[in-house]
Amino acid sequence: MGAVTLSGLRKLYGTHEVIKGIDLAIAEGELVVFVGPSGCGKSTLLRMIAGLEDVDYGTIEIGGRDVTENAPALRGVAMVFQNYALYPHMTAYDNMAYGLRRAGLGTAEVDRRVRETAALLQITDLLSRRPRMMSGGQRQRVAIGRAIVRDPEVFLFDEPLSNLDASLRVEMRSQIARLHRALAATMIFVTHDQVEAMTLADRIVVLNGGRIEQVGTPREVYHHPANLFVAGFIGSPAMNLLPAVLFRAGGAAGLRLADGRTLDWPGPAPALPDGAAVTLGIRPERVSASGAAAGDSAGEVTLAEHLGDETILHLRLDDGTGLTLKAPGEAAAAVGDRLAVRFDLTGASLFDSAGARVQPG
Amino acid sequence: MTAAPLSDARPAAQPSAALRRRTPPRRLWSALLYHAVMLVIAAVFLLPFYWMAISAFKNNAEIFANPVSWWPVPFRSENIGILFSREDFPFLRQFANSVFYAGSVAVAVCLSCSLAAYSFGCLRWRGRDLVFGITICALLLPAIVTFLPVYLAWSEVGLTGTYWPLIAPFFLGDAFFIFMLRQFFLGVPRELMDAARLDGASEFRIWWQIVLPQVRTALVIVGLFAIVYTWNEFFAPLIYLQGRENFPLSVGLFTFRSQRAVEWSISMTGAFFTALPMVILFLLTQRLFTRGLTQATFK
Repeated sequence: MGAVTLSGLRKLYGTHEVIKGIDLAIAEGELVVFVGPSGCGKSTLLRMIAGLEDVDYGTIEIGGRDVTENAPALRGVAMVFQNYALYPHMTAYDNMAYGLRRAGLGTAEVDRRVRETAALLQITDLLSRRPRMMSGGQRQRVAIGRAIVRDPEVFLFDEPLSNLDASLRVEMRSQIARLHRALAATMIFVTHDQVEAMTLADRIVVLNGGRIEQVGTPREVYHHPANLFVAGFIGSPAMNLLPAVLFRAGGAAGLRLADGRTLDWPGPAPALPDGAAVTLGIRPERVSASGAAAGDSAGEVTLAEHLGDETILHLRLDDGTGLTLKAPGEAAAAVGDRLAVRFDLTGASLFDSAGARVQPG
Repeated sequence: MTAAPLSDARPAAQPSAALRRRTPPRRLWSALLYHAVMLVIAAVFLLPFYWMAISAFKNNAEIFANPVSWWPVPFRSENIGILFSREDFPFLRQFANSVFYAGSVAVAVCLSCSLAAYSFGCLRWRGRDLVFGITICALLLPAIVTFLPVYLAWSEVGLTGTYWPLIAPFFLGDAFFIFMLRQFFLGVPRELMDAARLDGASEFRIWWQIVLPQVRTALVIVGLFAIVYTWNEFFAPLIYLQGRENFPLSVGLFTFRSQRAVEWSISMTGAFFTALPMVILFLLTQRLFTRGLTQATFK
């Protein structure tokens, strides 16, 4: 299995630059997830690694070899597509065998590898079927089989679970995770689904507008977002972003919210001057209803989403700012109720006026 | 003592409006009118063919009989034997020529136009849309405009009098069929081709093994169009070919008619058996044909 190194990667369609200088090193056997909003360039980047899009600037190395100019089949990669891309006129067997035959392998070797892979994925009984005679999940397993059978250095997944229903998606997600452990393969996975990203990834690469916003483990990206974009993008519901002003009182620091209420900042004071405009980032699960007690802020419930094990409440604070909180179980609050809330600033993030995360001073 | 009724007083035979299955209001008169108009239009189109078909089995006197006879009595099947044995109208030879001509053009068109359509619809290359636009512009050019220089060119290489000038140009594509096939090719998922590239297939192999099987319907339609067009083609064979042994049926029938103007019944028998293969071909492929045309229209 091979490591992947992207250096100064850029891609232009005419004068429109869609990939704006990507530098990324993916270790051997790592599962990296590219995540980002629609049009951020994550699929284009994956296709560039696969060799399906030309690289305008920069280089791609796979397993230490510069493959930037290599044809897709010579890069040692295999790809699983969103719509499976199984050849409709061929059986599952022929779909899996096609690449091996193109590589010049003998009939016996092709047969051995196809059947071994089919056994691994438990699709042996599907081998004689054509794609139209299979369910979505079965097709996706055959598509994964087609990738595995080639024994590539790197697996590329382009939103492979998007076309599946919710329960099948969970099942396939765990199957991919098991495959990753079993094969110890380098995998690059593109998705817009944050749950997939958080559950599958060794590291997440957050992309926006053709640039990398942050690279880190799921916990790093979730708890320590590098900037406002990552803070707002990762997590569902999204992180609350509240405008505030930093003030210093003695050795400690505090935040003055837009409604004039103040909060004590826990831990070391941020490295910003007194009076600096900041944005407080706080996850919905760190906000709680304060009941009868006076809270850190207050507002009116505009939407209550009852999910069974938890309730997501959307509030409009007195200063007009929107706020989301997660309450365990069934919350009694209803739309129109007035609610005082308390902020747990442990693990909260501060962002400066440029949107970058503020480090402790 | 009588028992009190347990249910309400509504009779069971008349279910409530909520339980009754709704039926759309019948539009009998509009349906009748629609079908009447359609039948008249169909009759207008079918009448000449029907007249040709019944005349094929009459003699001259019966064809022009007054009052008109709408069914051949007696049924002169011997006309078929006469048609197939006439020395001045080598029908079977000309039929074979037509089959060869139409078949060759269909194969040529399917190969060349699908290659061009694959390039225009599935590959990305600089200037693709411009070249495609220029290709489509060729549709605007009347064939008669280029006929003389093309004829002189074929004459220069000494190939007039053969089928080369009639068939060879179709191996270089045809703007209409390229346009039509491109519409189908655009509907083939790009990921199929990407998957084949990752599997190590060349572009030629992708065209042949992956894309063409997805557009079989389109190829059948294009092939049928080419066959019908070539089967009926008159002008080009008339100009390029000499000798009735070399003519296809379209020209052969014309020359027979012009030389034997009084032999209406044999002319009609010839015309009937010239048209019959196309009718049978269409009936056999009708479903494929209409399905493919609908797909192309809504692309």
